[in-house]
Amino acid sequence: MVEHVKPIQPTWCPGCGDFGVMAAVKKGVLELKIPSENLVLVGGIGCSGGIHNFMDAYGFHALHGRLLPTAVGVKLANPKLTVVALGGDGDGYAIGMGHFVHTLKKNASIVYVVMNNETYGLTKGQASPTSLVGFEGNLEPPVDAVLTALSIPAASFIARGFSGTPKEATALVTEALRFTQERKGFAFVEILSPCVTYNDTYDLWRERIEDVGKRPGYDPADRGKAFSTVLDVMNSGRIPVGAIYRTPDSQLRPSLDKALMPDVAAGPAVADISLAKNAARYEKMLAALE
Amino acid sequence: MSESIPATHPEHPAASSPAKAPANRVLKDLSVLIGGQGGDGTLTVSDLLARYFHSRGLYVYNSRKVLSRIRGGYAASSSRASIEPTLAQKAFQDVIVAFHQDAITFDEKSLSPDGFILGDEKVVTNPGPNTILLPLSITAASKLGNPLYKNVLAFGALSVLMGMDREGARKVVEQRFGRRSEEARVKNLSAFDLGAELAEKSPDPKPRFTVERGTATDQVLLTGNQALAYGFVVGGGRFFAGYPITPATSVMETLMKILPQYQGIVRQAEDELSAINMTLGAAYAGARAMTATSGPGFSLMTEALGHAGEAEIPVIINDCQRVGPSTGEPTRNEQSDLLHSVFASHGEFPRFVIAPGFPQDAYDLMIQSLNLAEKWQLPIIFLMDQAHGENMQSAPRFNLKGVSVDRGKLLTQEQLDAMAAYKRYEFTKDGVSPRSIPGMKGGQSQVTGNEHDEWGHVSVNVENRKMMMAKRMTRLRLAKPDLPPPLYWGDEKARVGFIGFGGTFGPIREAQALLKRKGITSRFYQARTLWPVPVETLAPFLSSVDVVFVVEHNYMGQFARLIRGYVTAPNIESIVKYDGNPFVAEEIAGHVEQMMTEHVSYGPSKTPIVVHEGEGGGF
Repeated sequence: MVEHVKPIQPTWCPGCGDFGVMAAVKKGVLELKIPSENLVLVGGIGCSGGIHNFMDAYGFHALHGRLLPTAVGVKLANPKLTVVALGGDGDGYAIGMGHFVHTLKKNASIVYVVMNNETYGLTKGQASPTSLVGFEGNLEPPVDAVLTALSIPAASFIARGFSGTPKEATALVTEALRFTQERKGFAFVEILSPCVTYNDTYDLWRERIEDVGKRPGYDPADRGKAFSTVLDVMNSGRIPVGAIYRTPDSQLRPSLDKALMPDVAAGPAVADISLAKNAARYEKMLAALE
Repeated sequence: MSESIPATHPEHPAASSPAKAPANRVLKDLSVLIGGQGGDGTLTVSDLLARYFHSRGLYVYNSRKVLSRIRGGYAASSSRASIEPTLAQKAFQDVIVAFHQDAITFDEKSLSPDGFILGDEKVVTNPGPNTILLPLSITAASKLGNPLYKNVLAFGALSVLMGMDREGARKVVEQRFGRRSEEARVKNLSAFDLGAELAEKSPDPKPRFTVERGTATDQVLLTGNQALAYGFVVGGGRFFAGYPITPATSVMETLMKILPQYQGIVRQAEDELSAINMTLGAAYAGARAMTATSGPGFSLMTEALGHAGEAEIPVIINDCQRVGPSTGEPTRNEQSDLLHSVFASHGEFPRFVIAPGFPQDAYDLMIQSLNLAEKWQLPIIFLMDQAHGENMQSAPRFNLKGVSVDRGKLLTQEQLDAMAAYKRYEFTKDGVSPRSIPGMKGGQSQVTGNEHDEWGHVSVNVENRKMMMAKRMTRLRLAKPDLPPPLYWGDEKARVGFIGFGGTFGPIREAQALLKRKGITSRFYQARTLWPVPVETLAPFLSSVDVVFVVEHNYMGQFARLIRGYVTAPNIESIVKYDGNPFVAEEIAGHVEQMMTEHVSYGPSKTPIVVHEGEGGGF
């Protein structure tokens, strides 16, 4: 077997929440037996975005905020690949917010894991789009990506975990991977991932998280209920986590990749573009010009 | 800016030839301009004329001046036909169709003294002596229920006044509208017949001229944007993402029709940032990929352009230039993105800038660019301009002669299996590393816009940095023999030279013909590779003539400046135009004559042409 690039030691601070996120992704990949050559990890910019360097896979370090279009491009070029985009809250909800909304709308079968630490860690602790009012002088109440995702009609898989509860986080990531393996659409998983250096929120978040699934009668197939429950939890000063919304299989529209390529082996990246294969059809196409 | 002389409109020929034309004129080269308000359907008339001339074996060149709005404002289009290959728009019109008084107000000055104006009686308030007024829109409204049929009525009237073959012209209408619906077919044919009838019943129904039949029966009619889109498919392009932008949108629209038949994907993204990054993702995954845009979109794409350079991703960015900066004039012609194409994005990385001059060239060079991008693993900017991109013209039918697909160092699984170690950014003699794509066993890698070592891991090691810079940049030098060579046009022994690229091709070729008639022979270096600057061919060309006119559509004389950066050549003069309209041949020829006689006396250059050492070839 040819020797290829080896994962390097993570560059994260000891205790960083991202270790838990990476463990969850690794376990999900292992459980679903995804071969590393079929796994493409698209990282964003920031501490979390380096994650692809620490795992055995095809890694692509995208531009700041642009990991989602990049990941969609990879998936549409070859739908056989398992594509996971991984980045932080600044990358995803500030510079990349436009792409976030539109990737929910596009609904290609990729997983998006956002490691939310409510700060810009790599640039040393500035306020991020999810920072609370008062953090580093922040005057602007935070965005909530779960609510944003719920408001996009095409969104079909929305979850939030906490890297301090690794079992639950692993289950959510594994489900997201399974969802995209089955070509059902875009799976969005935000994982609360504390920055031990600039915003150590382990204890606070452990205390505040509430799994919406444990509320009596919660139905993740009911978008309206999901929305009101998430709001209700937030209004009570807690943080909603869990399998928040999932379109039931019976109501799923075809994902973008499946709609474009019902045959998973028919991606543009693996098309035979040799002249020998195509000459007859090209001749016909050119002859039709008037 | 002493070297730049802005072009002005040529003098009206009426001043020198006031004579009235004989009655039975047979034209070998004519132009019809149709002017009206946006939404009047002027493009429909020029399109019908083009199809008719095309069916008569004539060479056709259509052009358009429209505003960036769906309706309203003065809009004009023109159709030129000739028994000789037509390469550009004509300075003077033989016919003007006026759907609005504006057509006369703005464009009557371009009517040839023998020409005539066909005006819509309802709106033309101030007809001149050469004007034939017909109730086009009133008849369309009363007989067909919609005044918009006036455009096909006008075409019917022209079929009489221009001595067209009536059945041939009628067939063009049938072909064009028959595809839409039966109702469209029937109504438009009625409109054509009504228009012809109006002309026949007018006080002076005789044809003002007839048009000679041509022999160009092997031609197709298309735009440069369509040509490059076909080249993209034939060259193995299989992924396209774009965002609608004038004047590049027709690339996406053409590909939407043809690419899906070849296991290809076309996506309209939410913005240009997404379009280019989707394209990078697809190219990384192994698809031959392109995006198409114009200046504003290209500005947004520049960060990703550098990413493609650093991460070594083969990708094509098609910039169909328009008037800039900022929003500029979306529908008008300019070539002012040249220096931006060459230098855009922070940092230094290799790229090629390639510019075709005519549709066949766009088709050929796109096929070649797809190979070059993969062979040298870098981004290519495929530089078009509005006139070349959007103007419909005759082109020889494209074929597959000389087409090949060369994927460079893209590995097969077998080749990969045979390697001891796979490093995505392995140092090699030619700076190009073997490349795997996701899905290949053992080809796992890290592809990144960070500076990296051979494995793709982030590195700030100083020795590594120097070697990686050399690995990337050296390709600019090594690739030179591979890059599209210039095309030379005209007399090899001429003492007057032209240099131009892209859409100035046609006007320069026609200016050469005009000058030749006046005894001035010239040679034209049509640059097709603009970056890296092709000093190897430019220097001998500059040495071979006494004076070189660099003709381009921008204020600064950007190409002339770029050339001067690499070659000391005292015999370069600039002819520039930046008013939004393409050159017409008379403007270029006029300037050359003026400069040759009044301003400068040229002889063989006394100062030698010198290529700057360490710059031209020293990457």
